[in-house]
Amino acid sequence: RYVRQLQRLQLLFSPSAADARGARQFVEEAAQDFARQHPDVVLYVSPHSGPGPAPVLRAEYLNGTVREELIASKTSEEIVQLATKLANQSGLDIIRIRKPFHTDNPSVQGQWHPLTNKPSILTVQGPRLQPQ
Amino acid sequence: MVVLSAARWVRSRLSDRFWRVQEVLKYARHFRGRKNRCYKLAVKSVRRAFVRSTKARREKKRFLRALWITRIEAASLEHGLKYPAFISNLLKSQVELNRKVLADLAIYEPKTFKSLAALAQRRRQEGFLAALGDGKEPEGIFSRIVHHH
Repeated sequence: RYVRQLQRLQLLFSPSAADARGARQFVEEAAQDFARQHPDVVLYVSPHSGPGPAPVLRAEYLNGTVREELIASKTSEEIVQLATKLANQSGLDIIRIRKPFHTDNPSVQGQWHPLTNKPSILTVQGPRLQPQ
Repeated sequence: MVVLSAARWVRSRLSDRFWRVQEVLKYARHFRGRKNRCYKLAVKSVRRAFVRSTKARREKKRFLRALWITRIEAASLEHGLKYPAFISNLLKSQVELNRKVLADLAIYEPKTFKSLAALAQRRRQEGFLAALGDGKEPEGIFSRIVHHH
């Protein structure tokens, strides 16, 4: 069963700043639909009064990563798209994956070492033969 | 005071130029000499490094294939077969394993590789018999070809 990795989305904006207009429109129109479509994500809307830091959408994931995205001067539709993108992501950091595969047990028959294909007289110590 | 987030309105001497310069210098940090500190030298070096990394992606494939071939050759010589004989006889017995997989088997599954070498050797012997014996004896067991339709 699918478990959504996004825990909560915090919408931090100021109600009077000019670049937070898209955020305000999003809160008025599209936030409720978004919250209904994604029932396992908690959406917090926290307006802070007066001029302050730029409007930001903060996403927190189940593995603890916090991702902040600027929403200054973005339209409501763009914020909806951003929010859905964050909701579909997992919290793993976005770096280059070196290999698309990984095993904990790479070798089933025993890894090769220089004595694998040599006659066993070199490795096995049998009982010492008594001189007769 | 180190300011970590560029979004905040910064009341310090770190101007936009600082961030623009850092964007380039962050890719030059592991270089040798003054190119890891001085912007003018770093720009040239970082650009060459990127160009070389894009060109090297085509050569990485060649390099890895050569590495696999070396490893398969070493492993098959341990079992008494040379590389061309091994590969050609495996293909004739319809075992279409690529060199990457064969190299991994040779390292992590030596018994499987030994059985593959034995198969190639047997097919080789049957090939010799078919070529030199001329016709009266029936075809070897491992020389039979399976047709998938």
